[in-house]
Amino acid sequence: MPRRHVIIGAGTAGLNCIRTVREEGGEASDISLVSAERPYSRMVLPYYLGHTIAESHVYTATPASLAAWDVKARLGRRAARLDSVNHTVTLDDGAVLEFDDCLIATGSRAVKPPIPGADGAGVHCFWTLDEARAVVAGVSPGSRVAMVGAGFIAFTILNALLARGAKLTIVEIAPRILPRMVDAACADIVARWLARHGVTLRTDVTVTAIEQAGGERRLTFKDGEPLAADVVIMATGIRANLEWLEGSGIETSADPGGGIVVDDRLRSNVKSVYAAGDVARGRNRVSGALEVHAIEPTAQEHGRVVGANMAGRDVAYRGSLVMNIVEVCELDVASFGQWEDGGAEVYTAVRADRSQYRKLVFDGGRLTGAVICGPAADIWTTNDVGMLKGLVYAGSDLSGWKAHLRKNPFDIKPAFLATRTVSRLLPETILSRASQSPQLPQSVMIP
Amino acid sequence: MRALALHPERCTGCLRCELACSYMQTGTFQPSKSVIRVSPFEGHTSYAPYTCTQCAEGWCMTACPVGAIAITAAGAKDVIDDRCVGCKLCTIACPYGTMFYDGATRKAYKCNLCGGAPACAEACPTQAITYDDIAVGDWIGEFAAERTARVLRFESSVPVAGGLR
Repeated sequence: MPRRHVIIGAGTAGLNCIRTVREEGGEASDISLVSAERPYSRMVLPYYLGHTIAESHVYTATPASLAAWDVKARLGRRAARLDSVNHTVTLDDGAVLEFDDCLIATGSRAVKPPIPGADGAGVHCFWTLDEARAVVAGVSPGSRVAMVGAGFIAFTILNALLARGAKLTIVEIAPRILPRMVDAACADIVARWLARHGVTLRTDVTVTAIEQAGGERRLTFKDGEPLAADVVIMATGIRANLEWLEGSGIETSADPGGGIVVDDRLRSNVKSVYAAGDVARGRNRVSGALEVHAIEPTAQEHGRVVGANMAGRDVAYRGSLVMNIVEVCELDVASFGQWEDGGAEVYTAVRADRSQYRKLVFDGGRLTGAVICGPAADIWTTNDVGMLKGLVYAGSDLSGWKAHLRKNPFDIKPAFLATRTVSRLLPETILSRASQSPQLPQSVMIP
Repeated sequence: MRALALHPERCTGCLRCELACSYMQTGTFQPSKSVIRVSPFEGHTSYAPYTCTQCAEGWCMTACPVGAIAITAAGAKDVIDDRCVGCKLCTIACPYGTMFYDGATRKAYKCNLCGGAPACAEACPTQAITYDDIAVGDWIGEFAAERTARVLRFESSVPVAGGLR
């Protein structure tokens, strides 16, 4: 009998797993895909909101492309129960799928704090395609938009909201913006940049209620003036979709961040059940800690490693690197690795007149984290952002360069080249083989 | 498969490769748009070109959330413009610093080996860039290490201001 793979979740991790199983070839296998939604890329929803791509552009698989992969797709269905003894998954319509191995890739969902009125009309999250459609329908030129939360997710849609002609106010409970992506010095530069570009920022404020008043929304605060808005967007965090696994015997962590505990093959405590992406507590490549990263590149790498292992290869994963990049009003902001490590050796530089910032974090001779910020025109002319990733990822020995980098944190390129980081990186592949072109439904042939 | 081989000891820093590349990639003679970059060493007394190796992992390609980077017949990873949304994930996924972003088109771009006839290699008057049937490699690491060693020694003994240029 062909091996039966059941993939739960059609996000980045799930689809990369399926693609990799098929790329590896080998013996014939059955793949079943369970997904509540039609597969699409969450990463590109901001561009749909900003009108630079059509809705059709967000899809990452179609019934035809799934059929071409010989995938039995159960779209519109959710997994309701996993039986790790009898190796079955029961769906919300009662169907029972037997598996030889299974991937849990159910991702995250947006969550709202328990604020009175947070479920009212005109109050949206921006996480799923349905939520994106609601925001697209609700925001028109001149709309007053109140963004609750100033984290990475909020920042990914600022450009799109401004492009739609919204008048934007961001309210944040913390004293500063982007707390999990950049340090306070960088956040300050970004905040000033936003103010110069017409975005109102209110930090250190706690929303106490969202009231409906004559077709508009009224946000009230613990301190300070109320705020009137046509649309409220709640960017107040995400939570992994793990509740359905209660009683399954799949071990989740009680530590902060939670997640399914996985080994270096992304297997849970039940060896035939893998976990990937936002639900997996995987290895941090730099620190070695087990963490949920909840970022696209981690989901992608997790998914491919699971796919290769499901296909019969034995591929170990050395861990993922936390990294993010976001652009607001042509200011690029990115961070890599352990940029907030308080005990480490830290070199920073600011060019206030150009809104540029650099932070390099060292553990001995190794660069373990970095923050970079600057106008897009500067960032993409210098073009050393990727080199920071390369140095962190390769763990190059920069001992001989630290004195230079302490004086010149912006001058990373000669250090990257002279430490032979390219030769350290070239043998690195996630699957111990060359990658193949993606086979997505919209892919076009290059002549 | 043929690849770009870089021979820094032959490079004169004339930047013809950058001009040819930017013209091929963006239709303008503008080194800042080139995806091959010439780095100066030791106070502009020696130079080395640097560009994408078309690495086996293809970090840019695997990272793209919409499959907008694919392998061409020439063996290059190339951006499919109609698919790229400009999210820049490839620019942080590529550990080599060889993914670029064009603010004018709001799309990523990179070395695509000019479809199998690289303009940089053709433009180079000293064969510092050649297009050969050769394995990819770290063409300038050794050179960069040697050409920066003296400056680093000098810096560690004398406080200096400014970059290592």
